[in-house]
Amino acid sequence: MEAALALPREQSAPKGRATKKGAFWRALPRLVFLTAVLCGGVLVTKALYIPVKAEVAQVLLARAFDQSLAGGAPVKPWSWADTAPLARISAPRLGQSEIVLSGGSGEAMAFGPTALVDDQASGITVLAAHRDTHFEFVQDLLIGDDIWMERIDGSTANYRTARVDIVRWDEFAHPSYASDTGSEGLIALTTCYPFDTHEPGPLRYVVWAELVAE
Amino acid sequence: MRRIAGFPDRDGLAVMLILGVVALFAVAISTMSARATANPMARGPAPGSPDAPLAPSYASAQTEGGLMLRASEGEVAANIPAVRLGTDIVADVSGQTARVTVTQAFRNTSDQWMEATYLYPLPDNGAVDTLKMVVGSRIFEGVIKPKEIAQEMYEEAKENGQKAALVQQHRPNMFRNSIANVGPGETVLVQIEFQAPITQVAGDYSLRMPLVVGPRYIAGGANTGSLLNAAVLAGASDLTAPTADPDMVARAGGGLNPVSITVNLDPGFTAEAISSPYHAVNVDGSGATRTITLADGAVPANRDFELRWSAAGDAPSLGLFRQSHSELDYVMATITPPSVQRVGEAPSREMVFVIDNSGSMAGESMPAARRSLLYALETLRPQDRFNIIRFDDTMTELFASSVAASDRNIARAKTFTHGLEAEGGTEMLPALAAALEDNHSRSGDPLRQIIFLTDGSLSNEAAMMEEISQNRGRSRVFMVGIGSAPNTFLMRRMAEAGRGTFTHIGMGEESEAQMQRLLNRLAQPVATNLTASVEGGNIDFTPRDLPDLYAGEPLVLLGRTRHLQGTLTVSGMIDGERWSRNVELGDAAQSDVVAKLWANRRIAEVEAERWSGQMSHDLADTAIEELGMDFHLVTSRTNLIAVDDTPSRPDGAMLTREELPLLLPAGWDFDHLFGAHSAQGSRDLPLESEKQRQRLELPNTSTGYMLTLMFGLLLLLLGMAGLGRERLSARIRSLLSPGLPLRAPA
Repeated sequence: MEAALALPREQSAPKGRATKKGAFWRALPRLVFLTAVLCGGVLVTKALYIPVKAEVAQVLLARAFDQSLAGGAPVKPWSWADTAPLARISAPRLGQSEIVLSGGSGEAMAFGPTALVDDQASGITVLAAHRDTHFEFVQDLLIGDDIWMERIDGSTANYRTARVDIVRWDEFAHPSYASDTGSEGLIALTTCYPFDTHEPGPLRYVVWAELVAE
Repeated sequence: MRRIAGFPDRDGLAVMLILGVVALFAVAISTMSARATANPMARGPAPGSPDAPLAPSYASAQTEGGLMLRASEGEVAANIPAVRLGTDIVADVSGQTARVTVTQAFRNTSDQWMEATYLYPLPDNGAVDTLKMVVGSRIFEGVIKPKEIAQEMYEEAKENGQKAALVQQHRPNMFRNSIANVGPGETVLVQIEFQAPITQVAGDYSLRMPLVVGPRYIAGGANTGSLLNAAVLAGASDLTAPTADPDMVARAGGGLNPVSITVNLDPGFTAEAISSPYHAVNVDGSGATRTITLADGAVPANRDFELRWSAAGDAPSLGLFRQSHSELDYVMATITPPSVQRVGEAPSREMVFVIDNSGSMAGESMPAARRSLLYALETLRPQDRFNIIRFDDTMTELFASSVAASDRNIARAKTFTHGLEAEGGTEMLPALAAALEDNHSRSGDPLRQIIFLTDGSLSNEAAMMEEISQNRGRSRVFMVGIGSAPNTFLMRRMAEAGRGTFTHIGMGEESEAQMQRLLNRLAQPVATNLTASVEGGNIDFTPRDLPDLYAGEPLVLLGRTRHLQGTLTVSGMIDGERWSRNVELGDAAQSDVVAKLWANRRIAEVEAERWSGQMSHDLADTAIEELGMDFHLVTSRTNLIAVDDTPSRPDGAMLTREELPLLLPAGWDFDHLFGAHSAQGSRDLPLESEKQRQRLELPNTSTGYMLTLMFGLLLLLLGMAGLGRERLSARIRSLLSPGLPLRAPA
């Protein structure tokens, strides 16, 4: 039965088919390499988009922040933004400054550090940003470093780093009120830990800074 | 023409398929990091609600059932607690292990329904396996459950008004008992049992029962040496409990946390020189079995209890025990290599002393550390090299690198040591890194020994362990625990990772004697390059990398196998000579503790693998949970829980939570730790305020773009290289065969 079926196929297979098949196998490596180049290109573009976006956004954000500061009200950095600048945070010793965005959404975090908690009444601020873009400098902070927080209402607060914790992402907790610790204000800069890996992990690096009493 | 027309047939499909797969692969890789970034956010606080989000458990506890949670940040307890605690400890020493029963009686002296929690230490190599809750004449046996389930059961029972007891492990040597719904005037007993090995050095044996957790310095603390902020800020709240104000303790009389201790000693030989260096004891009985009790009845839980004894004549140099547990055989072998007395001069060596002069050393610890260091300096010979590093939250290296132990250098070192004052926080990591830095690493170099003098009151164990296991090189790290409550877990693990030993030296006059013992041991020949192999059997032994042994120290091997058989051979070099010993494993005596000791040892290994990065966090957690469930042990992932099935607290009655205060370890200076800050005024702590902690889930902040970038570049390069090569080879082909006629187009 099988032979009967196979026979006519064998016979009908023309010489041209073999050539065609050969041509395909000859062309295959080129196709694979071409695909590799294409995909590689796409990946590189996609990857580079992250730091480039982070940098460009900060430029736009800085402009929006200055406008907000001048106007006293939050100004959106671009018309379709769902987030607005809140403050400018800087670490003078490291020469770093970043515009902090409201709302702790993952989308906002692509543009700058975001405030997970920012409650003036309790004096607690918790910021988060990517360890490989905006909060890359956090690993270089030392105990006793100054951190300045310049809000869009024009006020400026001087914090001083007091401690560093490494906690699991789901085991972090902060005091309800900064006054519980005897401080007038507390700010936490949080980012992923460890710094030298590129994969997501459960640990977070938390730098606590205390408001320096006037 | 035919070729083009035939394209979308089988071959064409294959091409498309390959293209599709590659494209999918690329997309998957590129989105992997993006997804990881987005996911935890979804579980985090709702975007756009910057007000502090409450963790669900806290929120519901406050609204349902009228429960009031009193947070535990109050560092100093000035009022006598409503729930009073009495502890009774009975230790049955048999052979080389001790079975210890700790009974905590929680007595509610108030007219409220109370929940109480108490933080207490246990030997760091102990394995808690039994919990009993005794209510009146009823006994409730504890069961082992994964952490989350046990906590849920406890919370549920608490809300239902049922009595419940929970045993949690915060560190391998720090446990917390919680008991819910103790009625007015009622007493509930919580009894735990654990297994611990006996420490043995050169015929001297000791059992150490830590009785108090010293207030810990949380690394990176605000201000210099601030123990105040330590408890309040994130992450470390589990490790801290309020410290009893000495005034309050005086008012409470001897009634705050009294402990009674009984040791039934049956070491298998006639014990001699039974002594307890920190407590007065009575020794009764004769021959091989003795009973030791505290002379004063009950003592305050403010210093560790230690019992020492030695063997009359020759101590047994071999102990071999076995146990079968769920179809596997477990074995413990304790082998003591012979002590060799050295003839002539010991070879020169390099010693680096690292001394902790942080605030927690204030009181008796600092003088003890100073005296120990001065003694050690005396023993250096001119051919030795040495250096001293001191640290609090700052660090000073006396010399830029190790120098010869000349009279001038020793004199400088002594002046430096005399000038050390206990002040500031504990940042051990930089000092450790500096000590491990080995500038003179050449082959054939002398021994390099790092001696750490500290009370180990700090909490970033992970970073310390990592530093040692990665950078130990040829150095050996010896930990010397100072004070009445040193953090033995950290120090033992650090010494193990540094292939050295851990010694605890107490206070006062004892410190020199202990230091002398250690230094003598370090000068003694060591058994090195130890290996263990089994002939005629197949056994997984832990530790896998055998440590160096100093004179008189036993090698303790724990192993697991399908069927215990064969001959164990331990061999190594002692003072340049080959030494080996054969042990018939079939001769092992039955013991019902071996499997648990093996499991505990394995858990310590998993932890070590976790901290040195050999095992991921999740894998380590899973492994520990499995071990805990399988061997019925309390671990970082498993808790013991006992629940009374009938509710006792009437509906509507309020439940008050109380964290029982701990006594400050004896010799610690209360005013130095707490007083100075209250005096400043700026750090005035409201003692009775009800403060809550807000939990917050932190988003993932790794974009992982570097990984994507690297992968993309790799793909790009590969593709380009491939295309280039193809073009090149086509070119070469055409150059090599110019005579061939080109096929004319159709």
